[in-house]
Amino acid sequence: MHTLITLASSEPAATSAATGVTSYAWLLLAFPLFGAALLLFGGRVLDKAGPMIAVLLSWAACVVGVLIAISMMGADPSDRSHTLHLFSWVPAGTFDVNASLLLDPLSITFVLLVTFVGSLIHVYSLGYMEGDSDKRRFFAYLNLFVAAMLTVVLSDNYLMLYAGWEGVGLASYLLIGFWYHKPAYASAGNKAFFANRVGDVGMSIAIMLMFVEFGRTDFAGVNAAASQASEGILTAIGLMLLLGACAKSAQFPLQSWLGDAMAGPTPVSALIHAATMVTAGVYLVVRSHVLFDLAPTAQLVVVIVGAVTLLYGAVVGCAKDDLKKALAASTMSQIGYMMLAAGLGPIGYAFAIFHLLTHGFFKAGMFLGAGSVMHAMDDQVNMRRFGGLATLMKITWVTFGLGWLAIMGVPPFAGFWSKDKIIEAAFVGEGWRPWVFGLAALIGAGITAFYMSRLFFMTFHGKRRWTDDQHPHEAPLSMTVPMIILAVGSAGLGLILGPTGIITSWLEPVVGSAEGGHEPVLSVPVLTVLTLLLVAAGIALAWWRYLRESVPVVAPVGSLATRAARRDLFQDDINEGLFMRPGIHLTRSLVFADNKGIDGGVGGLAAFVGGLSARARRVQNGFVRSYALTMLGGVVVILGALWVVQ
Amino acid sequence: MSLVNYIYLSAILFAIGSAVVLVRRNAIVVFMGVELMLNATNLAFVTFARMNGQLDGQAIALFVMVVAAAEVVVGLAIIMSIYRARRSASVDDANLLKL
Amino acid sequence: MIASMAGALPTEFVMTQISYAAVLPMLLVFGGAMIGVLIEAFAPRRFRHEAQVTLTLLTLVAALVAIATSARDHQGITAAGAVVIDGPALIFQGVIVALAAVGVLAMAERFTADEADAFTQSGAAVPGSPREAAAVRLGATSTEVFPLTLFAVAGMMLFPASADLLVMFVALEVLSLPLYILSGLARRRRLLSQEASLKYFLLGAFSSAFFLFGAALIYGYAGSLELSDIATAVQNQSGMDGLLIPGVLLVVVGLLFKVGAAPFHAWTPDVYQGAPSPVTGFMAAGTKVAAFGALLRVLYVAFEGVRWDWMPILWGVAILTMVVGAVLSVTQTDMKRLLAYSSIAHAGFILVGVLALNQKGVSSTLFYLVAYGFMTIAAFAIVALVRSSGNEATHLSQWAGLGKRSPIVAGVFAFLLLAFTGIPLTSGFTAKFAVFAAAVAGGGTWLVIVGIICSGITAFVYIRIIVLMYFSEPAGDTMVMTPTVMSTLCISLGTLVTLWLGIIPSPLLDLASQSTLFLR
Repeated sequence: MHTLITLASSEPAATSAATGVTSYAWLLLAFPLFGAALLLFGGRVLDKAGPMIAVLLSWAACVVGVLIAISMMGADPSDRSHTLHLFSWVPAGTFDVNASLLLDPLSITFVLLVTFVGSLIHVYSLGYMEGDSDKRRFFAYLNLFVAAMLTVVLSDNYLMLYAGWEGVGLASYLLIGFWYHKPAYASAGNKAFFANRVGDVGMSIAIMLMFVEFGRTDFAGVNAAASQASEGILTAIGLMLLLGACAKSAQFPLQSWLGDAMAGPTPVSALIHAATMVTAGVYLVVRSHVLFDLAPTAQLVVVIVGAVTLLYGAVVGCAKDDLKKALAASTMSQIGYMMLAAGLGPIGYAFAIFHLLTHGFFKAGMFLGAGSVMHAMDDQVNMRRFGGLATLMKITWVTFGLGWLAIMGVPPFAGFWSKDKIIEAAFVGEGWRPWVFGLAALIGAGITAFYMSRLFFMTFHGKRRWTDDQHPHEAPLSMTVPMIILAVGSAGLGLILGPTGIITSWLEPVVGSAEGGHEPVLSVPVLTVLTLLLVAAGIALAWWRYLRESVPVVAPVGSLATRAARRDLFQDDINEGLFMRPGIHLTRSLVFADNKGIDGGVGGLAAFVGGLSARARRVQNGFVRSYALTMLGGVVVILGALWVVQ
Repeated sequence: MSLVNYIYLSAILFAIGSAVVLVRRNAIVVFMGVELMLNATNLAFVTFARMNGQLDGQAIALFVMVVAAAEVVVGLAIIMSIYRARRSASVDDANLLKL
Repeated sequence: MIASMAGALPTEFVMTQISYAAVLPMLLVFGGAMIGVLIEAFAPRRFRHEAQVTLTLLTLVAALVAIATSARDHQGITAAGAVVIDGPALIFQGVIVALAAVGVLAMAERFTADEADAFTQSGAAVPGSPREAAAVRLGATSTEVFPLTLFAVAGMMLFPASADLLVMFVALEVLSLPLYILSGLARRRRLLSQEASLKYFLLGAFSSAFFLFGAALIYGYAGSLELSDIATAVQNQSGMDGLLIPGVLLVVVGLLFKVGAAPFHAWTPDVYQGAPSPVTGFMAAGTKVAAFGALLRVLYVAFEGVRWDWMPILWGVAILTMVVGAVLSVTQTDMKRLLAYSSIAHAGFILVGVLALNQKGVSSTLFYLVAYGFMTIAAFAIVALVRSSGNEATHLSQWAGLGKRSPIVAGVFAFLLLAFTGIPLTSGFTAKFAVFAAAVAGGGTWLVIVGIICSGITAFVYIRIIVLMYFSEPAGDTMVMTPTVMSTLCISLGTLVTLWLGIIPSPLLDLASQSTLFLR
């Protein structure tokens, strides 16, 4: 604990107290939080006006974010980091946690993404949830989510970040299960919940380790102390943070929940499970970059996790017939790219955030498009039942198309500028790494092109394979306008931020920049050409299989690989085999309150604990004499232990 | 005779008392086991007082007796009400609350 | 306690000084309880409920005022070394009285009837007998629960303030005996209630025998039961060493029984389930606070010198308690049993704080106890509201879809469950964080890791109930009683404290950390 003393004096001077418009940053949290509270407790009076209030408050937060961003741009690059002290949260002797906000280019980038995309999705939900009787609750949860997500990105210490982290988890959980009266949906939240609990344990351990080693949990303090800590500790902290990040961002091996989370309303999938919350893991890694830079092993694990997930998501995405689940697999894969970039160190951080930003736009846009399609097709999600929608839903088709071009990385759309940079960065290095990770990223780009084209062709082109009673139509204005705005972003954002170098110089004060001399093992033009060739091949293959040939309405049995991919590469089976079966064999009589609460999909570990519990509770047999025996046994064991020790 | 032997006796009585709690079914007898344990303790207190050349231990024993008497009042009342409701004073029959 | 008579007997009797100002709060509560007994004997039946409730609440408020004013200014060891009024003792007493006041509100709930709803109208009558029916017809009441509660509160107040193991034993019995009776007085499911009472009584008596035998061994070692004398004897390492450590452990076992730590926890689920719900809430909160107060005192004051002998054993107990509480709660199907296992798990978490053995250990333990006490009283008060065909609907399946039937009650309960889980912005989070931080500072990193894993497991349990309440269709004839002002006040107080301590914990943390110094 000797570090405690040395730390107190080495407060980094880089951040200054917030002034001017920045000092109103608390409004960012206050607006949506107020909205959530108002709508939750407001009662039925607000059934009508409530959604509109939520939308307005979300835009209000967005305006505050923009104003702060503008004032930050006006400032000198060295003076863009501010803290805003809210109140003293946990003052406990020498250990003092403040509730403070950290406003720097990284956090404000997220604020803009969350509030802007979030507000658009609020607007979209006005149309999408039109007929739902419980709209008020839905908008309350949405506002709650925005507030929690802003807490995650704005907090200046790990503890408050953790508070927001739990908050987004809770909001996500509430929103996934929003349509709980639909039986299949009610239990979908559970897997998400379980994966996130595992992640939370990781986060808590990481924070505890920081506290033990550094005596602080604020970013500045931890960063300052990290340079004196041993690499073993830093690696442990890094890995535990990564565990939390993996759970939140649906990264291997905790990725299984994202597909099930698609049971929630589509705007939720767009906002939480595509644009913002699932990228919190990437934010966490980038925010902790000082720790990861000092722990190469942890960094390597980040890269591996990213590479594995990007391929995993891409392969799974190729076989899904459910429109939203295919998009979810693609989200997983794209976040894999971001993780990969974040693990590459200083050359990757800015591009991880850049891709996160563009992905936020194009993936949210595509999800909204998917919502629009489902809206038109009576909530049908099976792509084999779509086809030929392009002419009937022109706006959806165009906006989705722009997102499609963006995610594949076709120039000049957004993905080209962000993803290709990650591929280039992955090829930088020495030895085997650039080849393994670079090739993974490169091949991933080809597969992405294939499955996204498949999805696009099956939905909007080819023969009409609808059931007879469906009459597709374009969505109302409140839904199309957000889609159009997001599509414009998907098209242009990359061009504006990428080649001009805006994003890298903007983030440089926070994440630093790569010093020169980092050349990929293959030259940049070669890589670009290779990527584009692979993308073209992917599109061609999809065109060959799904446009030239007719798409059967019932999925063919398919090859072993297809079947494996459809079943999420057997991850549930692996879970079951590794954890559940032993748990069941251990007990044979699992008695649960309700099977919904802990169905097979929840995860084997839960069943294992359940099995242990079912066995252990037999000790509680109701006989007072056997209770007395356990007590006496306890006494004897304690005295016996004492006797042995002495 | 050495005073230490009284301590041994007290320990043995205490053990017998706890054995009674464990093996007997009748609630009254179980409770008598507990009383035996308390009185074994009293013996220990008195003996230690003698060994230390004090009177404190004897006084403590008086306190313990009072407390034990209060315990008897409450305990017998509870056992009585159970017995009247079930027509049985067996502690093994009181077995509705479990798992 | 008893003037030392070693050597020559004193020639004349010296009266001991008692600082009445210091013990005034306890005297008030004992006095209130006595008056309650008189009311029970002489007041007409129809006034008794109002009179008793008013008296009880007034007594508790007066005691709280006395703690904040008179006792605070008269700290010190008094009554010839029997009672110690110091910072921790005062704050523990204050917490106990405050919790008891909130708990009494829940006990006083009558809904539309004339008598307290949770309690049988004739505790002495056989369940289902003509005598019971006659008592019901005549409108009998069990208002004796209020004086009994006050006696228990007085015992609880004395428990952490005793400077002597004999006084501690007496306090233990004074707090336990009324609770044994209270747990047998449920109006519904009376057989279960009586069984709970019997089990609690037999096991409680069994454990207090261990406590006393431990005290006897320590007396043999130190020649005194005063905690300060024991501490001195421990320092000097004189006398019969073989007696000390077994004595310490047996005393600790007696206290661990009261807090419900494994393997001495077996009574907890059965008693919590069988006892009337408001009593369960009161005893879960009050007993835990009092027993942890006493545990802190003996460990920090008397036995600190031999910490290396008992530390590893208590480590094991803490780990076992957390694991047992967490794992066994997973398969519970009864709400009250589930909350009982949760209380076991929480006892484990609090033990982690106790084992920090530093000042932060005291303050964080205290904070945790306050947080846990308020949330658990409110939770049990809510359990008492949810009914199905006249009985309390304690089976989990009966809670399905409660969010639809009664959004406010379900919402508050969900919030309390989040607090049990330790989600940020509830007191549960701050409390867990405080004890874990203290334990880490005290070198208990492994304990903390086990604690975090266990709280992960319990989180699963609590959130499952939230899922059940919100994401399932209502089933059966479960309904929620409309609470009167009593329960409403109790539940809102508990909930507000939980929220307040989650958002602005600093006042209580400050207060707790200023009162960590035990007088010796």
